Amino acid sequence: MSGRRPARRAGVVGVTLATLLSHYRRHPGQLAMLLLGLWVAGALWSSVQAINATARDSYARAEALFETRLDRIERRDGTPLSPATYAALRRDGMAVSPLVAGELTLAGSAAGEAPLRLLGIDPLTLPGTSPLARRTGDAASLRDWLLPPHRLRAAPDVADAARRDPRLPPVEVDPGLPPATLVTDIGVAQRLLGLAGPTRLVIAPEAPAELPDALMRIPARQLASPGQLADSFHLNLTAMGLLALVVGLFIVHAALGLALEQRLGLLRTLRALGVPGRTLVVALGLELLTLGLVGAGLGILGGVLLARLLLPDVAASLASLYDSHVGTRLALPWHFWLGGVAIILGGLASAGAGLLWRVARLDVLALGHAQAWRARLGGLLRRQAWAGGALIMLAAGLGGWLWLTGDRQLVAGFVMVTAALLGVTLWLPAWLAGSWRLAARLGRRRALWAWALADLQLQLPRLQLPMMALLLALATNLGVSSMVGGFRLTFLDWLDQRLLADLYLHPEAERHDALQAWLADQPEVATLLPARHAEATLLDAAAQSAAPVALFGIRPAAVLRAHWPLRLPAAERDAAWQALAAGEVFVNEQLANRYRRRPGDTLTLRGADGRRHRLSIAAIYPDYGNPRPEVVMPVARLTRVFAAPPGSLGVVLRDAPGSRRQRLDALVTRLAARFGPATAESAIDQQALKADATRVFERTFAITRALDALTLGVAALALLTTLLAQAGTRRAQLAPLWALGVSRRRLVGVQCLQLTGTALGTALLALPLGLALAWALVAVINVAAFGWRLPLHLFPLQLLVTLGLAVLVAGLAALLPAWRLWRMPPRQLLQEFAAT
Amino acid sequence: MLQLTDVAKSYPTPQGPLFVLDGIDLHLAPGESLALMGESGSGKSTLLHLAAGLDVPDRGEIHFHERALSALDEPARADLRRRHLGLVFQQFHLVPSLAVIDNLTLQARLADREDPDWTDHLLERLGLTGLEQRYPEQLSGGQQQRLAIGRALAPRPDLLLADEPTGNLDEAAADRVLALLHELIHESRCALLMVTHSARVAAPLDRCLRLHYGRLEPGEP
Ligand SMILES: Nc1ncnc2c1ncn2[C@@H]1O[C@H](COP(=O)(O)OP(=O)(O)OP(=O)(O)O)[C@@H](O)[C@H]1O
Ligand SMILES: [Mg+2]
Repeated sequence: MSGRRPARRAGVVGVTLATLLSHYRRHPGQLAMLLLGLWVAGALWSSVQAINATARDSYARAEALFETRLDRIERRDGTPLSPATYAALRRDGMAVSPLVAGELTLAGSAAGEAPLRLLGIDPLTLPGTSPLARRTGDAASLRDWLLPPHRLRAAPDVADAARRDPRLPPVEVDPGLPPATLVTDIGVAQRLLGLAGPTRLVIAPEAPAELPDALMRIPARQLASPGQLADSFHLNLTAMGLLALVVGLFIVHAALGLALEQRLGLLRTLRALGVPGRTLVVALGLELLTLGLVGAGLGILGGVLLARLLLPDVAASLASLYDSHVGTRLALPWHFWLGGVAIILGGLASAGAGLLWRVARLDVLALGHAQAWRARLGGLLRRQAWAGGALIMLAAGLGGWLWLTGDRQLVAGFVMVTAALLGVTLWLPAWLAGSWRLAARLGRRRALWAWALADLQLQLPRLQLPMMALLLALATNLGVSSMVGGFRLTFLDWLDQRLLADLYLHPEAERHDALQAWLADQPEVATLLPARHAEATLLDAAAQSAAPVALFGIRPAAVLRAHWPLRLPAAERDAAWQALAAGEVFVNEQLANRYRRRPGDTLTLRGADGRRHRLSIAAIYPDYGNPRPEVVMPVARLTRVFAAPPGSLGVVLRDAPGSRRQRLDALVTRLAARFGPATAESAIDQQALKADATRVFERTFAITRALDALTLGVAALALLTTLLAQAGTRRAQLAPLWALGVSRRRLVGVQCLQLTGTALGTALLALPLGLALAWALVAVINVAAFGWRLPLHLFPLQLLVTLGLAVLVAGLAALLPAWRLWRMPPRQLLQEFAAT
Repeated sequence: MLQLTDVAKSYPTPQGPLFVLDGIDLHLAPGESLALMGESGSGKSTLLHLAAGLDVPDRGEIHFHERALSALDEPARADLRRRHLGLVFQQFHLVPSLAVIDNLTLQARLADREDPDWTDHLLERLGLTGLEQRYPEQLSGGQQQRLAIGRALAPRPDLLLADEPTGNLDEAAADRVLALLHELIHESRCALLMVTHSARVAAPLDRCLRLHYGRLEPGEP
């Protein structure tokens, strides 16, 4: 049997490390839990980072193109520039360059697909500071560019589609271009867009220019995108990612603590066999590093996959909320990968450093005693509760200050939310221990009850981390779903208010007036709500900066007045409508927030004809989901003053017997007979419109919801893995009870009750925290991030759902260990008993 | 080889310090075997821990191979344990996640002194041949005890410190393990300091001392 055995040489560190790692071979569950925690934390965090990095890349490419690099020259009256103006400026020695910008729909693109941005440039005159100019630098490529068939540079995401369009010149891929952008020679672009001259002139910011009075120069600085709002959206995302990271690290911390506690005996044996303490710490550190690298790899991989799944929704959100265009393909810089590894290793180090420090400090003889280990935890718990209390006070103070001053600062909001979340989390173990003591006092006479509660106190060091994760996840879930729920309610209300008509028609311009007259005579029609739309430019006092705004014309009929939302007390609404009729305007919240206007302030608008109009603001109205500033006035005035073209006609049906559908169909049939099928086909049922709008809305919150659900899932996993990992020790504690005559069924029942009770206690603490979070999100963070305020809605059902979720999570997590205990043969329980 | 001079040790307790050892002098020559007896709680394990450098005395000095333990830092004491000492604990302290063969060679590998012939010899003499790939929990109490002894002897230490190595065994089994221990000690010319309650166990050893109220007295096996 005993042949020659080769001697193995691995050195003290090597042998120690191998011995330490052998623990995981016997307890693969703990290893799985550790890697799972790292994976989840890393995946959620890096998916958010990948999305942010891609968005930033898109923004950067968009900005690098011109917006921040070149000044723009426009006519003061806003009319198009003529080629003659350009020629005159060049003759006077000014280094202006013509530019054409427009939207192009590619041949063969699907209906409903967004058009691409086409830019035409003149490389000979374009200032050298522009990235566009640099690209056409060498002589050969310049010749290709200038001479037929010319060249077209396309962003990577649209290059293939562009190649399929026969109208376009040969395509070169340019990764420096923002998504959905094509660049070509100005002549080609003019032909493709059907334009006679340049749409604007650009000039290098440092180049001097003596402009005639009719022209103005808009500095590049002022053209920078209003990126602040989009920035805060990303900040929100980052905060969510950070939360997920923290929850994941809770798992890691719990798993590490467990893996170490169960190896205390081993650590002592190794020390006794002559492994220096320092070597032990080095070996444990190496173990952490190995785990961290594997976990980081898995996490980043998972994150990239997740980001790929979520990106289309995020891109849709950003487009509908902020008008920012983000590519739907991930663009990840090198520092994304490095940063991901660094943050996961850093998180692991923060979770492991405390443990290593304790290993290094405990002396050999005490090292093996879990009791000594726990004794230190007692002190930790007290300090933790104090720190938690202090943080809660800080959060409350900040909340009060925000409330009183009405100042909506994003940073203060985030600090408040973080302090509240962290404070309550730290305070949780003390709260649980206190509740158990109280419960124990109430049920002192029942032996099993008393045992169960005493046992929970012993389990606290292990249970506290997964319960903290659960608390965070529940509170965020409640806060976020209150916010989204309130948002949805408000939004649907607002849709109901804005979409008052049962039917919307978009007739051809020449039929508009006839149709309006005909509709007014129809018996089904109660009210006609014509609406028109025009564009104007908002000027500041010095007429130096200009921003586009949308003008919206409405007919202030009684139904509309009754439903149109205004941010005014009910008593002042009538006066506001009278002011509107008398020549004032309403503006949406986005305009009011971005340009700091209030009722009573004035706006200077420049219409398409170049005339200026000073308008006084009568009221502000909420305008959810609209990225653009908007001004509302009576449709008659919009038509007269701003020459708005014919727009849509809304038809409000008269209340009458019979189904709404039938009356609507009857009207549309007669309409088709009178005006032809084309006009009838332009009719849109209000309900279809609402469904569309709601779909866009749901998409906006897809990522919030996804991250939220994932976080809750992670918390459940944390609990499950903790329970599984300590199942062995638990059985050893339960075996004596079994030997003393407590049936296995009751043992399983007690265990489930212990856990669900603890989860319920945690959820009770999560309720106020979640509500505070909802308030912070709605009243502070959203105002700063989205530019509009929401009313705070409380849903009692949501509170019940939170409690139910806690019980469900705990129940699910308890199920597997309980089932295993249930199925365990008595012989094995006896062994556990003998071993204790 | 091992020299304790006026060694004292106390433990802090809520009622004030508990003086366990008070002026211990002890000398052990190479190859010599010594039994340490005494009532439960008299400080036998404490003395053993001090001798192994696992703990430090309040007063006095311990020399091993002419070197004062107090002059060594923690890594140096660990190095000394690894290379020169074998320890057998009352509760064995086997590594549950390592197979028998890896447990047996653990200290030898740590000391970089693995000797395959000696390992095979130990396996055979300890009656563990054929059990190499089992885990400690799959062994009987006596087998675990023999494995613990084997682990301590595998690096060929100069001194074996054993704390009630047969405390968990019945008389017959204890006798067999002890006989084996003595043979192996003779083979490897290793000194032995063994803590025991039992006169039967102490009898075959060269000398016997008794701990009484913190001091050593000559003992009767
Ligand atoms: N870490 C400690 N803190 C406080 N007192 C201790 C500690 N370790 C041991 N003691 C006390 O010191 C005394 C001697 O303990 P020791 O373990 O050396 O006794 P022992 O002779 O080995 O007993 P036994 O034969 O029962 O193993 C005992 O009274 C014990 O209670
Ligand atoms: Mg003892």
